[in-house]
Amino acid sequence: MHFNLARGVDLDVLPTKQFKMNHVLINFTTPQTRTNATARNLLANLLETSTHRYPTQTALARQLAKLYGAYVGMGVGRVGQLHTVRLRATFVNDQIADTNLFDQVVDLINEILFHPLIDQNEFDGPTFRIQANNLKSSIMSLYDDKQFYANRQLMKLYYPEDSAMRIPSFGQVSDLAGLTAQNLVPVYQQMIENDKVNILVLGDVDPEKIRATFAQLPFDGRSVAPLVPYYRQSLYQDVQRATEHQSVVQAKLNLGYRLPVYYHDRNYYAGLVFNGLFGGTPYSKLFTNVREKASLAYYATSRLLPFSGFLGIQTGIRAQDAAKVEELIGQQLADLVAGKFSFQELSEVQDSLINQYRASHDYANNILGRQLLTTLLDLPEDRDVAAKINAVTAADVQRVAAELKLQATYLLSGEK
Amino acid sequence: MDQYTYQEFNRTIYRQRLANGLLVQLLPMPGFHKTYATFSTDFGSIDNQFIPYHEEGAVTVPDGVAHFLEHKMFEKADHDAFDLFGKLGADSNAYTSFTQTSYLFSTTSHLRENLDVLLDFVQDPYFTDKTVAKEQGIIGQEIQMYDDDADWRLYLGLIGNLYPHDPMRIDIAGTVDSISKITPQILMQSYRTFYQPSNMNLFLVGNLDPAETMEWVIDNQNGKDFPTPETPRRLTKLNDPTAHDVIPFRSLTMNIARPKVMVGLRGIKQFEDGRERLRYKLAVDLLLDVLFDDTSDNYLRLYNNEVLDDSFGYNFEMQRGFHFAYFSSNTDQMERFADEIVAILESADKQIDAARTRFAGIKNAELGRLIGLLDSPEAIANRYADKLFDGANLMDEIRLLKEISIEDLYRVAKEFITPQGISVYQVVPHHQ
Repeated sequence: MHFNLARGVDLDVLPTKQFKMNHVLINFTTPQTRTNATARNLLANLLETSTHRYPTQTALARQLAKLYGAYVGMGVGRVGQLHTVRLRATFVNDQIADTNLFDQVVDLINEILFHPLIDQNEFDGPTFRIQANNLKSSIMSLYDDKQFYANRQLMKLYYPEDSAMRIPSFGQVSDLAGLTAQNLVPVYQQMIENDKVNILVLGDVDPEKIRATFAQLPFDGRSVAPLVPYYRQSLYQDVQRATEHQSVVQAKLNLGYRLPVYYHDRNYYAGLVFNGLFGGTPYSKLFTNVREKASLAYYATSRLLPFSGFLGIQTGIRAQDAAKVEELIGQQLADLVAGKFSFQELSEVQDSLINQYRASHDYANNILGRQLLTTLLDLPEDRDVAAKINAVTAADVQRVAAELKLQATYLLSGEK
Repeated sequence: MDQYTYQEFNRTIYRQRLANGLLVQLLPMPGFHKTYATFSTDFGSIDNQFIPYHEEGAVTVPDGVAHFLEHKMFEKADHDAFDLFGKLGADSNAYTSFTQTSYLFSTTSHLRENLDVLLDFVQDPYFTDKTVAKEQGIIGQEIQMYDDDADWRLYLGLIGNLYPHDPMRIDIAGTVDSISKITPQILMQSYRTFYQPSNMNLFLVGNLDPAETMEWVIDNQNGKDFPTPETPRRLTKLNDPTAHDVIPFRSLTMNIARPKVMVGLRGIKQFEDGRERLRYKLAVDLLLDVLFDDTSDNYLRLYNNEVLDDSFGYNFEMQRGFHFAYFSSNTDQMERFADEIVAILESADKQIDAARTRFAGIKNAELGRLIGLLDSPEAIANRYADKLFDGANLMDEIRLLKEISIEDLYRVAKEFITPQGISVYQVVPHHQ
């Protein structure tokens, strides 16, 4: 059920008796720039740490414990070219808690979003310093995961120097030095006053009551320019290649392709099925031929980013096999272009995607995530997904496969 | 078929022990689309010494056999069980822990067919020299991959400190060397001993009709012959049950950016009764929350002094025959982190005194977390530990948790926290 609370502030309520928990998602959206991701991530960290009424994280945590251990947290994400700050709340429903927990949680959300620990136009100094340090540490620690690191390096190769797509949604350490307890205040105001706001609620709730509860949050109307998530880039003449040496036991070979298939465009389901056949499912060519038959990789998967026009492959291999693996991956793609896959393989992938889609209705976060995209991008309700997946033909898969253009390869090797 | 209703959660579980000894449990979740099934044996990586089924002499099998067996179960003479699930639109997987191996699938269609595939492939062993040799390569890669994972090395390093002469010090997958010694005969011997229906349990959760599903299981099992049941005879014993063999400190250098430290605490209490063990576990969980969760003054003080950060975590693991807790963080103050954690543990009584007003909130928060798991078929089935907790399921756990009082915390603190059980492990960047 959809409600418009103010201009640019929407509420979607999804009542269901399926779950024992209630879920709230409040999503703030704005175009990502080369500089706003780090600031908005730090802001999200500050907001979830303390408020005027709960000035330390302990005070806030104690309040949450009282609310049956409600989870209220903030984070960042992206939808293609758009940057999002998200507040998520998960808590026992009123029927089980036997009290008006929902109202109490919304009261706390109000505190977090509208009464941050800002005085005289600056965030609390010690809190700012610690959160900035923590963000720095947590970003650095992410890169200790070599698979993650290799993927980031591939993205750097794939996206041009001046593209905001190069900057991860969680930001970068080098931006932190420029952020202060003062200059984060306008970042906060900008978000709370000008971002597109989507509130989504899932659980055993009465929509009209929920509307009345959220109408009390002091969101003002705002005019939001049309939001364009879809990212396109032109082709490089030559494949961008890089090899790096570190002391790792297992090497990582990652490949990046341009694939102009976008969320819910006419090729979307063909793209999903193609990706399932290529490396996106355990029934895929990469899994069966590279990992299992040739024993050349511990993992070999592909992933379609349907807002970025990008398909990436990640593998964990022995460094000396890199050339062989790249050739074998190329061969798998060539086979898909040539239609060298059985009806059986195709229908297994389709069944697997349909199973995943149906099963996704058992996860509150998936339901909310899908609904967020629908409402944020103003897409028609997606019906008959199973039929659409089943309607994809071998020829559709071949057509999509033929559109892939290898653009970047990155090898992280333990060998010199 | 017995049934137990949990009125407060509007859930009913159905139970039956079949003629062949297999325990079957069914938990319907109305409104859910998927069915999640686990088929588990009480056999894990630490079970490396035993008297094989219908034999007299003891054997010691190479480290990693349980995990190896798990991988090999899927492969048959002319097909892979994994593909059978695929053809039926289901996802399948398996995992091995210190004390348990589980095979699972998740599906939104063809439940009966998938159930037959699960029961049939696990009850039809097929091991050859050739398939064993191939798997040695694949698992060898898997083990190597984990060598680069600093958090895994930290965890395994700490367990190595806590149990320096016991099988849990070794990676569940074994080592490249140990798995090279695995043969089809060893796999078959382990299989016959531990994969008897009477040593296994089947748990289905989600979209299902209990009467119909139970009939399908019975039909499947009635179509097979099983050898006479024999209780597995495990010989694995702790090297030193009093924990005086704990190594107090070790560290490792790795190619990482930030130092990581983990403090471990090994418990020595042994339990006869599964429910008693669960009650102890729940009380220790609450004790650790009182001492370290984000509502504690300890946490705020250490956080503000940057002794720990958002990566801080702690956990209590209760397994068959052993249990331990660990506390870890990325930190630039590794020594101070360890000193502070140990000091807090050693003053547990005072800490509990000071937490009297917080206790209700902490317990409520833990209840809320467990209630949240009721929305996850996977969590319900994976959390089920069979004999370890005398058949308690998540709903039983929630009921038991409600009974825990602050007085229980004093008792378990005294039993659990002993000086010889404490140990520290560090993973340090190269450049330090």
